[in-house]
Amino acid sequence: MNSRPAPFRFFNGTRAVTPRADILAPIQVRWLGALMVAAMLPQAAHLPLGIAALGLALVALRVFLISQRRARYFAALTELPSWALAVFAVVIAFGIRQWYGYLLGREPSVAFLFVLCGIKFLEARARRDGTLLVCLATFLLITPFLSNQSMFAALAAAPALMILGGALDALERSTDSLERQRDWRATLVRTLTLMAQGLPIALLLFVMFPRLTGPLWGLPTDRSARTGLSDTMTPGMFTELTLSDDVAFRVDFEGPTPRPSQRYWRGPVLSRFDGRVWSAANPQLGSVQIPNSGKNITYTVTLEPSGQPWLFALDLPAALPRVDSESGAATPPSIFLGLTRDQQLIARAPILQPLRYTQVSNLRSAYPATSVFEARANLRLPAGNRRSVEFARDLRANVADDAAFINAVLQFYRNEPFVYTLAAPLLEREPVDQFLFESRRGFCEHYASSFVVLLRAAGIPARVVTGYQGGEINPNGGYMIVRQSDAHAWAEALVDGVWRRYDPTAAVAPSRVERGLASALPAGESVPLFARFDGGWLKDLGLAWDAVNHGWRRHVIDFNYDRQRALWHEWSLDLFSPWQVVGGLTFVAGVWGGAVLLWLAIRRRRQERALVLWEDVCRRLSRAGLPRHPYEGPLAFVERAAARWPQFGIALKAIGEAYATLRYGNLAAESRERAALIATLKHAIGALPSPLRLRHAA
Amino acid sequence: MTVRPLSQSSVPVAERLGAVLQQLSRVVVGKTDPLRVALACLLARGHLLIEDIPGVGKSTLAQALATTLGLNYARIQFTSDLLPADVLGVSIYDENAQAFRFLPGPIFHSVVLADEINRAPPKTQSALLEAMEERQVSMDGQTRKLPDPFFVIATQNPVEQIGTYPLPESQLDRFLLAIELGYPDADAERELLMSGDRRAQLSELPALCDPPTLAQWQRDAAQIHVAPALLDYVQALLAASRGHLAGAKGDPGARRGLSPRAGLMLIAATRAMALIHGRSMALPEDLQAVFAAVAGHRLAGGARSGAVEANALIRAVALP
Repeated sequence: MNSRPAPFRFFNGTRAVTPRADILAPIQVRWLGALMVAAMLPQAAHLPLGIAALGLALVALRVFLISQRRARYFAALTELPSWALAVFAVVIAFGIRQWYGYLLGREPSVAFLFVLCGIKFLEARARRDGTLLVCLATFLLITPFLSNQSMFAALAAAPALMILGGALDALERSTDSLERQRDWRATLVRTLTLMAQGLPIALLLFVMFPRLTGPLWGLPTDRSARTGLSDTMTPGMFTELTLSDDVAFRVDFEGPTPRPSQRYWRGPVLSRFDGRVWSAANPQLGSVQIPNSGKNITYTVTLEPSGQPWLFALDLPAALPRVDSESGAATPPSIFLGLTRDQQLIARAPILQPLRYTQVSNLRSAYPATSVFEARANLRLPAGNRRSVEFARDLRANVADDAAFINAVLQFYRNEPFVYTLAAPLLEREPVDQFLFESRRGFCEHYASSFVVLLRAAGIPARVVTGYQGGEINPNGGYMIVRQSDAHAWAEALVDGVWRRYDPTAAVAPSRVERGLASALPAGESVPLFARFDGGWLKDLGLAWDAVNHGWRRHVIDFNYDRQRALWHEWSLDLFSPWQVVGGLTFVAGVWGGAVLLWLAIRRRRQERALVLWEDVCRRLSRAGLPRHPYEGPLAFVERAAARWPQFGIALKAIGEAYATLRYGNLAAESRERAALIATLKHAIGALPSPLRLRHAA
Repeated sequence: MTVRPLSQSSVPVAERLGAVLQQLSRVVVGKTDPLRVALACLLARGHLLIEDIPGVGKSTLAQALATTLGLNYARIQFTSDLLPADVLGVSIYDENAQAFRFLPGPIFHSVVLADEINRAPPKTQSALLEAMEERQVSMDGQTRKLPDPFFVIATQNPVEQIGTYPLPESQLDRFLLAIELGYPDADAERELLMSGDRRAQLSELPALCDPPTLAQWQRDAAQIHVAPALLDYVQALLAASRGHLAGAKGDPGARRGLSPRAGLMLIAATRAMALIHGRSMALPEDLQAVFAAVAGHRLAGGARSGAVEANALIRAVALP
C-alpha cells in the first residue's frame, strides 16, 4: 500500500535516529540539489577548475544517492561517519591553502565555503539540514558579488533565487503531499507571486532604508594582476595594453563632449629613466593650478578597479575630484585624494572597487611650473644612447631657442621614414638609439620616450606622461567609454617656465589622435574588436550591453548614502528629521497593513463560518504539534487528535462531528439547527486549551 | 453538553448493518474492511470483483453474505469450456407440454459467485457481464427479469494467467468495486487454524435480513446527502486522476484517468459506506474508505498497481 521508500539512511550509526517525518523526502533532496547547483554555478566561474568540479561533484553524488537501490549499493559511501567528513574538510582546506598560497583571504575562503556546501549537502538527511542548506546557498549566492557587481552577475543569480523559493516551498510541505507533487510550474508560479509581492517592499527598503556613509565592511582585497597603466613604462607595455578591450573608465559629460584632439586623459607622469624603463618619481603634493583662461568642463568618471592609485582626468585638472558628489557632500575621508605637482591625481590607496567621481578640467595643454627642482629632476639622463644625445646637441646648436629645437625634433619625426606600428621590434640595447636611427618602427611609447630623451639631451626639462587618449561615445546612453586600447604616452617639456604638452606620435600618425588607434595603424595589424571602426553588429551589441551595465552601476550599485540623500532632497523628504520620515513610513505601512488585514477579515466573513472555525482549530492543533494532513477528513483528524490528547477527546470529537455536519450535512442555510451547531462548535473549541499547553499536555 | 450533530433517522439501519457485519466477520475472520466494502457494494447496487489467490475465503465471503442477508446463492465455476447457456439457462423442448420450457441458469439467483471469471472464453464472460448490467436476460425473444436484489461477486486469480482471458478494461468498469482480500493477519489466521473450516458453520447462520428489507436499505443508501463540498472533493480527485492536480494547469488526458461514470459510482459507494457508518450524510472519510476499491481496477495498467495509485491520489489531493 505504502509506496514511500524507506527513509534515507545516512550516518545512522553515529547519530540519534531522526524521526521519520523529519527526514528529507527524495523530492526535497532534488530541490535542494538544484538549489545548490544554481547557487554554485555563478561562483564556479571564479574558482579554480578542480575546486569547482569537486563542489559540484559532491552535489551530484548526493543526488545520485537519492535512489534507495544505489544508496544500498554504495553503502560504504552513505555511511561515512562525521569525523571522516571533518578530516575531508581539513584536507580540502589544506589543498586550497596550497593552491592560493594563503587561506585567510576572500578567494580561498569563498572556495572553502564552496566545497563545504557540497560536503554539507552530502550529509544532509534531516529537514533541519535542509533549512541550513538553504541559508548556506543564500550566502554562497552572495559571494560572486564580492568580486563582480555587474548586471550579468545579478542575472546569473536569478535562477538560484527562483529555485530558492521552490526549495523553501518543498521544505515547508509535508512529505505526504509532496509524494505526487511533481508539478514544478505550480511551485514556480507560487515563488514568482511571492517575489512580486515582496518587490515593492524591497524597492521601498532600497530607496528608503538609511544607507551607511561607508561600506559596512571593507571588502578584503586579493593579490591579483590587472591590466592597466602602472608607475613604470617598460618596452612593449603599451603594445600589450592596446590589445585589450577592457574598459578603463566611463565618462558622463555635463555639456558638450570635447574634441578628440583634446581628449588627453592624464595618468601617471614618468620622470625617471634608466636607459630602458621609465618610472615615476615620488609624488609630491602640489596645489591646483588656477587657470586664467580656457574652458572648464565638468564630467563624471566611473573608474574600473585598476589596482593603482591614479585617477584620470582630462588635461588639466582644475579641481580635486569629488567622489559621489551629486549631493554636494564632501569626499569621504576614506578616500584621500591629492594632486601632485606634476598634475597627477593620486589616491592614498589603490583603487580596488569601481569608483565614481566628478571632475572639473580646464582644457589646455600648458601650465606654469611651480618648482625649480622639477626642472633639474627632469633633465637627468643615464649613460648610453650616445648617438641620440649627440644628435640632439648638434640639432640644438643649429637653432635659436628651445621652442625652435622642439619644432625641429618634431619635424625630424615627420620627415624621416618613421612608421607607426604595433609590430615594433623589441629593442634591448640602447633602445633610443636603435629606434631613432635604425628600426624607426614604433609605437607611442617609443616616440614619447625618444622625444623626451632628445629634449633632455638638449637641456630642456621634459618627462613622459602616460594615460589615455581618445574614447568612444556609446550611442546607447551617450556616455564615453575609454578602453585599455586607448592607452597612450606623450611628453611634456618645460619651456620658458611653462610645462607644455607635446605628442610626438601625432607628428608621425596624426590620425591616432584625431580618429583613434585603428585608423593610425597600417592595414593588416590586429586591433581589438572595440578599437575598430566597423566592428559590425557585434560591436553594436557590445556597446548596447555596456550601456545597460553602465546604467545598472550608476543607478543600482552606486546608490549610496549621498545619492540617497540627493533623492530624498528631490522628494523634499530631507525637510523632516529621519525619525519623522521613519514615523511617516511606519504610519503608511500600518495603514496599508491594516487595509490588507481588513480585506482578509471581510473575505473570511464571506466564507462559511464553520470553515473559519475549523481552520482555526486545525491551526491550533498544528501549533500544538499535530498538523492535519491536507487530505485528512474531519473525523479522522479529531480521532487522531483524541488519541494524542485523550483528556480532551470529548471536546475534540464534538468539534469534528459538529464541523462535519455543518460542512457535509443537509442543513438549510439559515436554519436554527445550523446556528445551534455553530454554537456547539464554538463551545467545544472554547474547551480546548492553548496550543502551548496542548503541546505540553501530550 | 449534548451534541447530536448526526441525524438519528438511519441509526436503526446502521445497527442492523452492524449486526450483519459482525456475523460476517465471525465467518470471514480478520477482514473487517473488505467485508464493509463488500457490503457497501451490495447496498450501492453494484457488483464486486475480488482479485486474489485461491484459498483466502472468497467463496466463503460470498456464501456468508447471501446467507446472512437471507438471499439465495449460486456459484458458477468458470472454465474454458463454459458456454453462455451454462450461465443464463437453456430452453428445452418439453414433450408433454409440446413447447419449449426455459430452465433458468445459475444466474437467476440473488447472489451469484462467478469463480475465476477469467478462465471462461470472452463470449461467456460477456453474457454474464451483460446480465449484470441489464439485470435481465433476453433469450429466445423473451426477456426475463433477474431477481432483485441481484449481486454478482466475481473472482479473478491473478497468479495463474496462462490459458485465461483477463477481463478487458471496459468490462472491469462493470464492477462497482474491486477488492483484494489478502492473507489474514497472524491472530486471525491462528483463530482460523484452531477452529477449523468455517464452511460448516455457513448453513447454521441465521438470516438477519430479507430481500424487501435489503431493497429498502439500498433505497436508504441512495438517499444519503452529498454536500457540494464533497462533490468538490470528488471532482478534485477525478481531475487529479486525469493527470492534473487542482490549481495547476496540465494536459488533460495525459493519462487514462477516472471516467464520469467512475465518479457516479464513487458517489454511490460513498453513500453506501455512509449508511454503514450510520450517517445521514457522506463524509470524506466514507469516500476515502471506498476510493481504492472504486478507482483501483480503473487505474490499473500503469507502472504501479491500481490500489497504490489510488492511495497516492488520495494523499495528493487536499480536501477542498
